[in-house]
Amino acid sequence: MNSFVTRLRVLLLVSFASLFAACSGSKDAGTDAAQSGDAPAPDNTAEVAAYYAAHPEFFVVKTPADLPAGLVWEDGADLPELGSPERKRGGTFQGRIQDFPRTLRTVGPDSNSGFRGIILDENALSFGQLHPNVPGPHRYFPGLASAWAIDLPAKTVYVRIDPAARWSDGPPVTTDDVFFMFWFFQGKYIQAPWYNNYYGIGETYTRVTRYDNHTFAVTLTEARPDLLGRVLGLRPIPRHFYRELGDDYVSRYNWRFEPTTGPWVITDAELKRTATARNHITLNRLADWWANDKRQFRYRYNPEATRLRVIRETTKAWEAFLLGELDAFGMNLAEYNYERLPDDAPLVRRGLIHKTTFFNDVPRPNYGLWMNTAKAPLDDQNVRLGIQHATHWQLVIDQYFRGDYTRLHTSNQGYGDMSHPTIRGREFDVAKAREYFARAGFTQPGPDGILRKPDGTRLSVGLTTGYEALAPVLTILQEEARKAGIEYRVEILDASAAWKKVQEKNHDITFSAFGIGVELYPRYWETHHSSNAYDQPFLEDGKTPNPARKAKVQTNNLEAVAIAELDALITAYDNSDNLDDMRRMAHRMEEILYEHASFSPGFALPFFRTANWRWVNFPEGHAYRFSGSPFEYGVEWLDEAAKAETLAALRDEAKTFPPAVKIFDQWKTKE
Amino acid sequence: MFRLNPITLKKLRRFRSLRRGWWSFWLLTALVLFTFAAELFINHRALVVRHDGRWFFPAYGDVLPGDTFGLGYQWETDYRQLRERMRGDAVARERGDFTLLAAIPYNATENCYPGEFYRARPPDLEKRHLLGTDTQNRDIFARLVYGFRKALIFSFWVVAGTYALGIVIGCAMGYYRGAVDLVFQRVIEIWSNVPFLYVVIIIASLVRPSLGWLVVINIAFGWMGMTYYMRTGTLKEAARDYVASAQVLGASDARIIFRHILPNTAATLVTFVPFSVAGAIGSLTALDFLGFGLPVPTPSWGELLRQGTQNLTTAPWIVVSAVTAMTLVLTLVTFVGEAIREAFDPRKFTTYQ
Repeated sequence: MNSFVTRLRVLLLVSFASLFAACSGSKDAGTDAAQSGDAPAPDNTAEVAAYYAAHPEFFVVKTPADLPAGLVWEDGADLPELGSPERKRGGTFQGRIQDFPRTLRTVGPDSNSGFRGIILDENALSFGQLHPNVPGPHRYFPGLASAWAIDLPAKTVYVRIDPAARWSDGPPVTTDDVFFMFWFFQGKYIQAPWYNNYYGIGETYTRVTRYDNHTFAVTLTEARPDLLGRVLGLRPIPRHFYRELGDDYVSRYNWRFEPTTGPWVITDAELKRTATARNHITLNRLADWWANDKRQFRYRYNPEATRLRVIRETTKAWEAFLLGELDAFGMNLAEYNYERLPDDAPLVRRGLIHKTTFFNDVPRPNYGLWMNTAKAPLDDQNVRLGIQHATHWQLVIDQYFRGDYTRLHTSNQGYGDMSHPTIRGREFDVAKAREYFARAGFTQPGPDGILRKPDGTRLSVGLTTGYEALAPVLTILQEEARKAGIEYRVEILDASAAWKKVQEKNHDITFSAFGIGVELYPRYWETHHSSNAYDQPFLEDGKTPNPARKAKVQTNNLEAVAIAELDALITAYDNSDNLDDMRRMAHRMEEILYEHASFSPGFALPFFRTANWRWVNFPEGHAYRFSGSPFEYGVEWLDEAAKAETLAALRDEAKTFPPAVKIFDQWKTKE
Repeated sequence: MFRLNPITLKKLRRFRSLRRGWWSFWLLTALVLFTFAAELFINHRALVVRHDGRWFFPAYGDVLPGDTFGLGYQWETDYRQLRERMRGDAVARERGDFTLLAAIPYNATENCYPGEFYRARPPDLEKRHLLGTDTQNRDIFARLVYGFRKALIFSFWVVAGTYALGIVIGCAMGYYRGAVDLVFQRVIEIWSNVPFLYVVIIIASLVRPSLGWLVVINIAFGWMGMTYYMRTGTLKEAARDYVASAQVLGASDARIIFRHILPNTAATLVTFVPFSVAGAIGSLTALDFLGFGLPVPTPSWGELLRQGTQNLTTAPWIVVSAVTAMTLVLTLVTFVGEAIREAFDPRKFTTYQ
């Protein structure tokens, strides 16, 4: 749940080595080092105090005596510990990034990149963290907090900050930093509307109350089932670091490393070096990190440093991995797993490289075809049903992904019993597809084999995507769909241009997916509420479609779904505090959407697969239920002796070690 | 009767005598003819089908659904399957049914191994994959040949467009001089500084790039080079006496430019053409290689090269095919170009003895 607050629901941008990205990004290097020496640094102390004073209903100060009696404090002490006591400290983890980061900021323009995940999501501690490895309901263990208490009727969570908690530059973490976090995210300086909205007064949170330096409470607008996660998932912002925050935030803080509560820092020396040399960036582990000996943290973040090399081309990174210059490599692509490094490859057989497949249990990115029902001919349900049967996902799964992937069935899969248990994606069936197309009036085959209406309209729709790497998937679908008499005009655009087109609702069909952090229940409002489809979706009776309605742009309702019954369910769902009711409603909504047939569910990857050199070690069980990669929770450790030995063996064909090709399916979900 | 100018005849004879260029020219012509008639040699559709007493010639016609031949499906006939069926069917054989397939019975975009994994496969003469298949099970030879056709069409239009623009503007600059010359010189200087690749990237990210778009972009940024040659050529010719006498006789500007100046400067241009063609093929390939070229699944050399470099170790036949084809064609074009330049070199004909 730590990803809750910080990670927007964004398109999975399969980021492509845009050849010139780095050139344009590299010019502003090190300019602010010079800047900070000039004019006296601004100070926002008075401004912040005035803001708190101007919003007394949100920023409340009380005394410890005001804490309600009878609170039940919890600290998740019974949860199993992460990491392994066998771990060794030290060594440098060799990783890769595709581009040098364009900024070290974690909010604002250009900040939503993979690098933010490294310096924030997988580093900075939130007050409490979702335990990634217990079955059943979500449980939390302490991060910055030492204990917390829930008062559900009051929609409030009380939190005690661990007095030992320190920022990486020394000062303790206090409730000042919590107040400041809200000021920071509510203000315009950060140029991040999503944060302004989410943290806005009365949006998600209605009040933050300070009892003393280490005790605070946050009150939410609604008592949702994930109330606790929405408070414990917060990460404070270092008040002392942002005294100079003002209009020039984007440039002033672009290359400054924000003090963190996590173990990884970018040192000043490293910042100075990378101002000119941008071939790699190193994160160092704080030797005296405050949580070094804390439960849940003492066996984690074991390497002394993480060195991230900038390697743009994946194939080049692959060669670096084979030379031992990268410690691990993602093997999700069939080509890598079966062709480049099959299980019987010498390096694997000789035990130098270990291969692992780990089945995780997380919401799946919903790859599929999102049909814009505001556009002809997709406004016709028969055409959509025809497309469902004309799209041969199973072929893609079986022969392109070689059976590794599974079929996606709904756009909200992987939420345990919140996902619909029985709905299945429609199968490829040319006869059915043609029958539906005929019902829609496309009855006559043209000279090119594509169906036409008697008036000559061809059954041809645009298919836009930003996933250049998945272009073969679309050409396969295109070729198969011709059999059913429909033409897909495949359009592969640059990732951001494709997303822009889709956000402006100029697409016919888009092949996309939303990436989602681990959440308790799926969201429907953004993607399926009529208010995100049209300006005035219905006439005054509330259910007849308004003939003059205009598409609403910049929303995630990519299918322009506007169904009155669904709207009512979404509203009830979003106001419910009962998970059982919500489950029933979620299932009903999925049934409505299945009928509507505007999303053709594609494929889902039920596992992650990695290859790593044998000097990289993992705890028993390899990874956790909610892991997205084996490195996400920092439980790996490096064995320097084994590394020397392995690199020597690389040149000595005769030397072998016990091979390891493992599958971990302890968290494998049933379809 | 149409008769060639004796000087031109002399040039042609000279060209013929340059063996390397002459043979390259014929080989290249053969390749060009082959790619434009490729449907007869490389095609998933049959050339001739005789079925139940009727003749079909599917190679150049409409899509014939499987039902036409009683195969029981409405999409395009799988002619390889049809042939197998006819061979195995005694009644059909008796009737005289047959299917004549192209020598390489695949097209450039189809999956040649239905029911099997998508992965690159090495050359397989038995299945008639002369150069193997690419990572999507498509025949590389087919993609090379049809990709060559695209490249030729592209370069034809680009060369035609850039020359037309370059000649018109260059002639105007050289003939009218003064303000026209000055203005265009500045325009060309500014326009030359617009980074071509950036513009292509921006446009390719906004629209689905088609062959037409790429031609237009390439012309828009490719015409400047030609203007300067035309300008100098025109300046030189316009100063000659015959132009002055034409002016005195009252000939119009258009007549002077098109009847007198152009024919006398054209010789220079002809020598540039082969190199421009090579350049255009190269730039289309480069754009495709970078992913800013023709839309998928259009066959193209750049796309093959990209696949090849990504699979250097696992599927070397892809890169070998693409590089060989590219080298061959560009070398031939260059040989022809060199021969033309030599044949048109005036120094050959003005010798002092």
